Amino acid sequence: MRRCRDGDRKAFDWLITRYQKPVYNAALRMLRNPDDARDVAQTVFLKVFEHLSQYDPKSKFYSWIYRIALNESVNALGRAKPFEAISGNEIDQAPGPERQVESEQANSAIERALMQLQPDHRAVIVLRHLQHLSYQDMGDILELPERTVKSRLFTARQLLRDLLVKGGVV
Amino acid sequence: MVEPQDLASIHAEIDGELDDRQRAELARRLLADPQLRALRDELKRVCGAVESLPWVEPPPQLRTNILAALPPVTARVKPARRAAQWSFTPAWRLAAVFAGVLVAGTVLFEAGVDRGPAATDVAGTLAGSGVRAPATVDTVKLDLGEVAGQASLYRAAAGLGLELELVASAPVEVLVASGGQTMRIKGLGRPDSPGGPRTAIALPGVGTPGQTVDLTFLIAGRQVGAATLKVPEGR
Repeated sequence: MRRCRDGDRKAFDWLITRYQKPVYNAALRMLRNPDDARDVAQTVFLKVFEHLSQYDPKSKFYSWIYRIALNESVNALGRAKPFEAISGNEIDQAPGPERQVESEQANSAIERALMQLQPDHRAVIVLRHLQHLSYQDMGDILELPERTVKSRLFTARQLLRDLLVKGGVV
Repeated sequence: MVEPQDLASIHAEIDGELDDRQRAELARRLLADPQLRALRDELKRVCGAVESLPWVEPPPQLRTNILAALPPVTARVKPARRAAQWSFTPAWRLAAVFAGVLVAGTVLFEAGVDRGPAATDVAGTLAGSGVRAPATVDTVKLDLGEVAGQASLYRAAAGLGLELELVASAPVEVLVASGGQTMRIKGLGRPDSPGGPRTAIALPGVGTPGQTVDLTFLIAGRQVGAATLKVPEGR
Protein backbone atom coordinates (compact mmCIF):
# COMPACT_ATOMS: atom_id res chain seq x y z
CA MET A 1 0.00 0.00 0.00
CA ARG A 2 2.86 2.35 0.79
CA ARG A 3 4.37 1.62 -2.62
CA CYS A 4 1.03 2.37 -4.25
CA ARG A 5 0.88 5.68 -2.43
CA ASP A 6 4.34 6.50 -3.74
CA GLY A 7 2.97 6.10 -7.27
CA ASP A 8 4.47 2.65 -7.90
CA ARG A 9 2.43 1.37 -10.84
CA LYS A 10 3.58 -2.21 -10.45
CA ALA A 11 2.26 -2.22 -6.88
CA PHE A 12 -0.99 -0.68 -8.09
CA ASP A 13 -1.17 -3.25 -10.88
CA TRP A 14 -1.03 -5.95 -8.17
CA LEU A 15 -3.82 -4.18 -6.31
CA ILE A 16 -5.97 -4.18 -9.45
CA THR A 17 -5.29 -7.87 -10.04
CA ARG A 18 -6.18 -8.66 -6.43
CA TYR A 19 -9.40 -6.63 -6.20
CA GLN A 20 -10.79 -6.29 -9.73
CA LYS A 21 -12.94 -9.40 -9.49
CA PRO A 22 -14.72 -8.62 -6.19
CA VAL A 23 -15.15 -4.97 -7.15
CA TYR A 24 -16.47 -5.84 -10.61
CA ASN A 25 -18.84 -8.46 -9.20
CA ALA A 26 -20.16 -6.14 -6.48
CA ALA A 27 -20.86 -3.52 -9.14
CA LEU A 28 -22.39 -6.10 -11.47
CA ARG A 29 -24.82 -7.30 -8.81
CA MET A 30 -25.73 -3.74 -7.93
CA LEU A 31 -26.24 -2.70 -11.56
CA ARG A 32 -26.77 -5.94 -13.51
CA ASN A 33 -25.40 -4.31 -16.65
CA PRO A 34 -21.88 -5.57 -17.47
CA ASP A 35 -20.86 -2.39 -19.30
CA ASP A 36 -21.92 -0.23 -16.37
CA ALA A 37 -20.16 -2.57 -13.95
CA ARG A 38 -16.98 -2.32 -15.99
CA ASP A 39 -17.17 1.49 -16.02
CA VAL A 40 -17.82 1.57 -12.28
CA ALA A 41 -14.90 -0.78 -11.58
CA GLN A 42 -12.61 1.43 -13.65
CA THR A 43 -13.78 4.56 -11.84
CA VAL A 44 -13.31 2.84 -8.47
CA PHE A 45 -9.66 2.04 -9.15
CA LEU A 46 -8.96 5.51 -10.51
CA LYS A 47 -10.50 6.99 -7.35
CA VAL A 48 -8.47 4.63 -5.19
CA PHE A 49 -5.29 5.70 -6.97
CA GLU A 50 -6.20 9.36 -6.68
CA HIS A 51 -7.20 9.23 -3.02
CA LEU A 52 -4.75 6.68 -1.63
CA SER A 53 -3.33 9.39 0.59
CA GLN A 54 -6.70 9.55 2.36
CA TYR A 55 -6.81 5.83 3.10
CA ASP A 56 -6.32 5.09 6.79
CA PRO A 57 -4.07 2.00 7.07
CA LYS A 58 -5.72 1.17 10.41
CA SER A 59 -8.92 0.26 8.60
CA LYS A 60 -9.34 -2.64 6.21
CA PHE A 61 -8.50 -1.82 2.62
CA TYR A 62 -11.33 -3.95 1.25
CA SER A 63 -13.85 -2.04 3.38
CA TRP A 64 -12.60 1.17 1.82
CA ILE A 65 -12.66 -0.09 -1.77
CA TYR A 66 -16.10 -1.70 -1.35
CA ARG A 67 -17.44 1.57 0.04
CA ILE A 68 -16.20 3.38 -3.06
CA ALA A 69 -17.60 0.62 -5.29
CA LEU A 70 -21.05 0.78 -3.71
CA ASN A 71 -21.16 4.58 -3.82
CA GLU A 72 -20.13 4.59 -7.47
CA SER A 73 -22.69 1.89 -8.24
CA VAL A 74 -25.46 3.93 -6.65
CA ASN A 75 -24.32 6.95 -8.67
CA ALA A 76 -24.34 4.85 -11.83
CA LEU A 77 -27.89 3.64 -11.17
CA GLY A 78 -29.10 7.10 -12.08
CA ARG A 79 -27.68 6.76 -15.56
CA ALA A 80 -28.20 3.00 -16.02
CA LYS A 81 -28.97 1.48 -19.42
CA PRO A 82 -31.57 -1.27 -19.88
CA PHE A 83 -30.50 -4.52 -18.29
CA GLU A 84 -28.61 -7.12 -20.29
CA ALA A 85 -28.37 -10.78 -19.54
CA ILE A 86 -24.98 -11.77 -18.28
CA SER A 87 -23.37 -14.02 -20.85
CA GLY A 88 -22.89 -17.64 -19.85
CA ASN A 89 -19.43 -17.47 -21.41
CA GLU A 90 -18.34 -15.14 -18.66
CA ILE A 91 -19.40 -17.46 -15.86
CA ASP A 92 -16.70 -19.21 -13.88
CA GLN A 93 -18.04 -22.76 -13.82
CA ALA A 94 -20.02 -24.05 -16.76
CA PRO A 95 -22.33 -27.01 -16.03
CA GLY A 96 -23.81 -29.27 -18.74
CA PRO A 97 -26.11 -27.72 -21.38
CA GLU A 98 -29.49 -28.58 -19.77
CA ARG A 99 -28.45 -27.69 -16.28
CA GLN A 100 -26.85 -24.56 -17.63
CA VAL A 101 -30.14 -23.40 -19.15
CA GLU A 102 -32.04 -24.07 -15.91
CA SER A 103 -29.33 -22.48 -13.87
CA GLU A 104 -29.22 -19.41 -16.10
CA GLN A 105 -33.00 -19.03 -15.87
CA ALA A 106 -32.89 -19.25 -12.09
CA ASN A 107 -29.95 -16.85 -11.92
CA SER A 108 -31.75 -14.44 -14.19
CA ALA A 109 -34.85 -14.54 -11.96
CA ILE A 110 -32.73 -13.89 -8.88
CA GLU A 111 -30.93 -11.03 -10.61
CA ARG A 112 -34.26 -9.50 -11.62
CA ALA A 113 -35.58 -9.80 -8.07
CA LEU A 114 -32.41 -8.21 -6.70
CA MET A 115 -32.85 -5.30 -9.08
CA GLN A 116 -36.35 -4.73 -7.73
CA LEU A 117 -34.98 -4.02 -4.28
CA GLN A 118 -34.00 -0.53 -3.26
CA PRO A 119 -30.23 0.03 -3.66
CA ASP A 120 -29.78 0.16 0.14
CA HIS A 121 -31.38 -3.24 0.50
CA ARG A 122 -29.58 -4.67 -2.51
CA ALA A 123 -26.25 -3.50 -1.10
CA VAL A 124 -26.64 -5.45 2.15
CA ILE A 125 -27.62 -8.60 0.26
CA VAL A 126 -24.61 -8.23 -2.04
CA LEU A 127 -22.21 -7.67 0.86
CA ARG A 128 -23.57 -10.47 3.01
CA HIS A 129 -24.50 -13.20 0.54
CA LEU A 130 -22.18 -12.57 -2.39
CA GLN A 131 -19.13 -11.08 -0.71
CA HIS A 132 -19.69 -13.03 2.54
CA LEU A 133 -18.79 -10.15 4.83
CA SER A 134 -19.53 -9.94 8.55
CA TYR A 135 -22.01 -7.50 10.09
CA GLN A 136 -19.06 -5.49 11.39
CA ASP A 137 -17.39 -5.22 7.98
CA MET A 138 -20.72 -4.32 6.42
CA GLY A 139 -21.15 -1.62 9.05
CA ASP A 140 -17.69 -0.24 8.26
CA ILE A 141 -18.42 -0.19 4.55
CA LEU A 142 -21.88 1.32 4.84
CA GLU A 143 -20.88 3.54 7.77
CA LEU A 144 -23.81 2.23 9.81
CA PRO A 145 -24.09 0.70 13.29
CA GLU A 146 -24.24 -3.09 13.29
CA ARG A 147 -27.81 -3.15 14.56
CA THR A 148 -28.90 -1.01 11.60
CA VAL A 149 -27.06 -3.34 9.25
CA LYS A 150 -28.85 -6.34 10.77
CA SER A 151 -32.24 -4.75 10.61
CA ARG A 152 -31.68 -3.66 6.99
CA LEU A 153 -30.44 -7.11 6.04
CA PHE A 154 -33.45 -8.80 7.63
CA THR A 155 -35.82 -6.49 5.78
CA ALA A 156 -33.97 -7.01 2.49
CA ARG A 157 -34.20 -10.79 2.85
CA GLN A 158 -37.92 -10.64 3.57
CA LEU A 159 -38.52 -8.47 0.52
CA LEU A 160 -36.41 -10.72 -1.66
CA ARG A 161 -38.23 -13.77 -0.34
CA ASP A 162 -41.59 -12.18 -1.18
CA LEU A 163 -40.41 -11.49 -4.74
CA LEU A 164 -38.92 -14.94 -5.27
CA VAL A 165 -41.86 -16.79 -3.75
CA LYS A 166 -44.23 -14.75 -5.91
CA GLY A 167 -42.11 -15.57 -8.97
CA GLY A 168 -42.08 -19.27 -8.09
CA VAL A 169 -38.31 -19.32 -7.81
CA VAL A 170 -38.11 -20.68 -4.24
CA MET B 1 -48.78 -14.39 12.61
CA VAL B 2 -45.02 -14.62 13.09
CA GLU B 3 -43.66 -12.93 16.18
CA PRO B 4 -40.86 -10.37 15.53
CA GLN B 5 -38.66 -12.15 18.06
CA ASP B 6 -39.03 -15.44 16.18
CA LEU B 7 -38.24 -13.74 12.89
CA ALA B 8 -35.10 -12.17 14.37
CA SER B 9 -34.06 -15.61 15.63
CA ILE B 10 -34.48 -17.12 12.16
CA HIS B 11 -32.30 -14.43 10.58
CA ALA B 12 -29.74 -14.84 13.34
CA GLU B 13 -29.72 -18.59 12.75
CA ILE B 14 -29.14 -18.09 9.01
CA ASP B 15 -26.19 -15.87 9.86
CA GLY B 16 -24.80 -18.35 12.36
CA GLU B 17 -25.29 -15.94 15.24
CA LEU B 18 -27.22 -18.16 17.66
CA ASP B 19 -25.62 -19.90 20.61
CA ASP B 20 -26.63 -23.43 21.61
CA ARG B 21 -29.37 -22.32 23.97
CA GLN B 22 -30.91 -19.94 21.43
CA ARG B 23 -30.71 -22.59 18.70
CA ALA B 24 -32.52 -25.10 20.92
CA GLU B 25 -35.20 -22.55 21.74
CA LEU B 26 -35.72 -21.79 18.04
CA ALA B 27 -35.91 -25.52 17.22
CA ARG B 28 -38.63 -25.91 19.82
CA ARG B 29 -40.58 -22.98 18.35
CA LEU B 30 -40.17 -24.33 14.80
CA LEU B 31 -41.49 -27.73 15.80
CA ALA B 32 -44.54 -26.15 17.31
CA ASP B 33 -45.31 -23.75 14.46
CA PRO B 34 -45.49 -25.02 10.83
CA GLN B 35 -45.94 -21.47 9.51
CA LEU B 36 -42.75 -20.38 11.20
CA ARG B 37 -40.98 -23.46 9.87
CA ALA B 38 -42.13 -22.73 6.30
CA LEU B 39 -40.93 -19.16 6.58
CA ARG B 40 -37.53 -20.28 7.88
CA ASP B 41 -37.18 -22.76 5.00
CA GLU B 42 -38.09 -20.12 2.41
CA LEU B 43 -35.63 -17.61 3.81
CA LYS B 44 -32.90 -20.24 3.79
CA ARG B 45 -33.68 -21.10 0.18
CA VAL B 46 -33.59 -17.40 -0.76
CA CYS B 47 -30.17 -16.97 0.81
CA GLY B 48 -28.92 -20.14 -0.86
CA ALA B 49 -30.26 -18.98 -4.22
CA VAL B 50 -28.48 -15.64 -3.96
CA GLU B 51 -25.27 -17.31 -2.88
CA SER B 52 -25.48 -19.63 -5.87
CA LEU B 53 -25.11 -16.70 -8.27
CA PRO B 54 -21.78 -17.23 -9.99
CA TRP B 55 -18.92 -14.78 -9.86
CA VAL B 56 -18.22 -13.33 -13.26
CA GLU B 57 -14.77 -12.75 -14.68
CA PRO B 58 -14.11 -9.04 -15.25
CA PRO B 59 -13.57 -8.07 -18.91
CA PRO B 60 -9.98 -8.85 -19.90
CA GLN B 61 -9.31 -5.25 -20.90
CA LEU B 62 -10.43 -3.80 -17.55
CA ARG B 63 -6.98 -3.95 -15.96
CA THR B 64 -5.29 -2.52 -19.06
CA ASN B 65 -7.84 0.28 -19.29
CA ILE B 66 -7.33 1.21 -15.65
CA LEU B 67 -3.55 1.26 -15.98
CA ALA B 68 -3.81 3.31 -19.16
CA ALA B 69 -6.06 5.86 -17.48
CA LEU B 70 -3.87 6.45 -14.43
CA PRO B 71 -2.52 9.98 -14.23
CA PRO B 72 1.23 10.27 -14.78
CA VAL B 73 3.21 10.01 -11.56
CA THR B 74 5.15 13.20 -12.24
CA ALA B 75 1.89 15.14 -12.41
CA ARG B 76 0.68 13.97 -9.03
CA VAL B 77 0.01 16.68 -6.52
CA LYS B 78 0.97 16.53 -2.87
CA PRO B 79 -1.67 14.61 -0.87
CA ALA B 80 -2.95 17.50 1.23
CA ARG B 81 -3.89 19.51 -1.85
CA ARG B 82 -5.10 16.74 -4.11
CA ALA B 83 -8.68 16.53 -2.93
CA ALA B 84 -9.25 20.20 -3.53
CA GLN B 85 -7.51 20.36 -6.88
CA TRP B 86 -8.79 17.14 -8.50
CA SER B 87 -12.47 17.69 -8.72
CA PHE B 88 -12.81 16.74 -12.38
CA THR B 89 -15.08 13.99 -13.57
CA PRO B 90 -13.32 10.77 -14.66
CA ALA B 91 -13.83 11.69 -18.30
CA TRP B 92 -12.05 15.00 -17.82
CA ARG B 93 -9.28 13.28 -15.94
CA LEU B 94 -8.78 10.88 -18.84
CA ALA B 95 -8.77 13.77 -21.26
CA ALA B 96 -6.17 15.58 -19.16
CA VAL B 97 -3.96 12.49 -19.03
CA PHE B 98 -4.33 11.98 -22.76
CA ALA B 99 -3.48 15.61 -23.49
CA GLY B 100 -0.38 15.34 -21.32
CA VAL B 101 0.79 12.22 -23.10
CA LEU B 102 0.21 13.75 -26.48
CA VAL B 103 2.04 16.97 -25.68
CA ALA B 104 5.00 14.95 -24.42
CA GLY B 105 4.83 12.89 -27.60
CA THR B 106 4.94 15.96 -29.77
CA VAL B 107 7.95 17.42 -28.03
CA LEU B 108 9.88 14.17 -28.23
CA PHE B 109 8.84 13.49 -31.77
CA GLU B 110 9.76 16.96 -32.96
CA ALA B 111 13.12 16.77 -31.22
CA GLY B 112 13.89 13.59 -33.09
CA VAL B 113 13.01 14.72 -36.60
CA ASP B 114 15.57 16.74 -38.54
CA ARG B 115 13.15 18.57 -40.76
CA GLY B 116 9.84 18.61 -38.95
CA PRO B 117 6.62 20.02 -40.23
CA ALA B 118 5.46 23.53 -39.46
CA ALA B 119 4.16 24.05 -35.94
CA THR B 120 0.61 24.28 -37.20
CA ASP B 121 0.87 20.81 -38.69
CA VAL B 122 1.68 19.16 -35.39
CA ALA B 123 -0.75 21.03 -33.21
CA GLY B 124 -1.90 18.64 -30.53
CA THR B 125 0.85 16.13 -31.04
CA LEU B 126 0.35 14.45 -34.12
CA ALA B 127 2.81 14.54 -36.91
CA GLY B 128 1.29 15.86 -40.11
CA SER B 129 0.43 13.33 -42.75
CA GLY B 130 3.39 14.49 -44.88
CA VAL B 131 5.93 13.40 -42.28
CA ARG B 132 7.65 10.05 -42.84
CA ALA B 133 8.98 7.96 -40.00
CA PRO B 134 12.77 8.28 -40.12
CA ALA B 135 13.63 4.52 -39.96
CA THR B 136 11.03 1.83 -39.60
CA VAL B 137 12.15 -1.10 -37.45
CA ASP B 138 8.95 -3.17 -37.36
CA THR B 139 5.59 -2.95 -39.09
CA VAL B 140 2.37 -4.86 -38.80
CA LYS B 141 -0.51 -4.67 -41.26
CA LEU B 142 -3.90 -4.36 -39.59
CA ASP B 143 -6.95 -6.02 -41.02
CA LEU B 144 -9.23 -6.27 -38.00
CA GLY B 145 -12.58 -5.93 -39.71
CA GLU B 146 -13.60 -2.63 -38.18
CA VAL B 147 -10.08 -1.23 -38.23
CA ALA B 148 -7.56 -1.43 -41.06
CA GLY B 149 -4.18 0.11 -41.78
CA GLN B 150 -0.78 -0.41 -40.27
CA ALA B 151 1.26 0.18 -37.14
CA SER B 152 5.01 0.77 -37.24
CA LEU B 153 7.85 1.21 -34.83
CA TYR B 154 10.41 3.70 -36.08
CA ARG B 155 13.74 4.87 -34.82
CA ALA B 156 14.43 8.60 -34.54
CA ALA B 157 17.20 10.60 -32.90
CA ALA B 158 15.25 10.85 -29.63
CA GLY B 159 14.50 7.11 -29.49
CA LEU B 160 11.76 4.87 -30.73
CA GLY B 161 8.39 6.09 -31.89
CA LEU B 162 5.12 4.54 -32.88
CA GLU B 163 3.32 5.41 -36.08
CA LEU B 164 -0.29 4.42 -36.56
CA GLU B 165 -2.10 4.75 -39.84
CA LEU B 166 -5.67 3.69 -39.24
CA VAL B 167 -8.91 3.73 -41.15
CA ALA B 168 -12.12 2.92 -39.32
CA SER B 169 -15.81 3.70 -39.43
CA ALA B 170 -15.81 4.99 -35.85
CA PRO B 171 -13.22 6.63 -33.59
CA VAL B 172 -10.62 4.14 -32.46
CA GLU B 173 -8.96 4.09 -29.08
CA VAL B 174 -5.53 2.48 -28.92
CA LEU B 175 -3.96 1.20 -25.72
CA VAL B 176 -0.20 1.00 -26.00
CA ALA B 177 1.60 -1.17 -23.45
CA SER B 178 5.30 -1.88 -23.19
CA GLY B 179 7.72 -2.57 -20.35
CA GLY B 180 5.08 -2.00 -17.68
CA GLN B 181 4.14 1.39 -19.13
CA THR B 182 0.82 2.06 -20.79
CA MET B 183 -0.74 4.92 -22.68
CA ARG B 184 -4.06 5.52 -24.33
CA ILE B 185 -4.58 7.33 -27.64
CA LYS B 186 -8.14 8.28 -28.48
CA GLY B 187 -10.03 9.49 -31.50
CA LEU B 188 -7.96 7.83 -34.23
CA GLY B 189 -8.97 6.29 -37.52
CA ARG B 190 -11.27 8.99 -38.81
CA PRO B 191 -10.48 11.18 -41.83
CA ASP B 192 -11.09 14.19 -39.58
CA SER B 193 -8.70 12.97 -36.87
CA PRO B 194 -6.11 15.60 -35.94
CA GLY B 195 -3.17 15.12 -38.28
CA GLY B 196 -5.16 12.95 -40.71
CA PRO B 197 -5.12 9.15 -40.67
CA ARG B 198 -1.43 8.96 -39.67
CA THR B 199 -0.39 9.50 -36.07
CA ALA B 200 3.15 9.43 -34.72
CA ILE B 201 4.08 9.45 -31.08
CA ALA B 202 7.34 9.00 -29.17
CA LEU B 203 7.79 6.00 -26.90
CA PRO B 204 10.25 7.06 -24.21
CA GLY B 205 11.83 4.11 -22.45
CA VAL B 206 11.17 1.68 -25.28
CA GLY B 207 14.14 0.42 -27.27
CA THR B 208 15.63 -2.63 -25.60
CA PRO B 209 16.29 -5.29 -28.25
CA GLY B 210 13.50 -7.85 -28.19
CA GLN B 211 11.15 -5.54 -26.28
CA THR B 212 7.55 -5.77 -27.43
CA VAL B 213 4.91 -3.07 -27.79
CA ASP B 214 1.38 -4.39 -27.39
CA LEU B 215 -1.43 -2.53 -29.09
CA THR B 216 -5.09 -3.03 -28.22
CA PHE B 217 -7.69 -1.44 -30.47
CA LEU B 218 -11.08 -0.47 -29.07
CA ILE B 219 -14.20 1.06 -30.53
CA ALA B 220 -16.72 2.44 -28.03
CA GLY B 221 -14.91 0.61 -25.23
CA ARG B 222 -15.12 -2.73 -27.04
CA GLN B 223 -11.95 -4.53 -28.03
CA VAL B 224 -11.87 -5.07 -31.79
CA GLY B 225 -8.35 -6.39 -32.18
CA ALA B 226 -4.77 -6.41 -31.01
CA ALA B 227 -1.29 -6.38 -32.48
CA THR B 228 2.27 -6.60 -31.25
CA LEU B 229 5.36 -4.82 -32.52
CA LYS B 230 8.86 -5.86 -31.54
CA VAL B 231 12.15 -4.05 -31.28
CA PRO B 232 14.55 -6.14 -33.39
CA GLU B 233 17.26 -8.12 -31.62
CA GLY B 234 20.80 -6.80 -31.97
CA ARG B 235 19.88 -3.28 -33.12
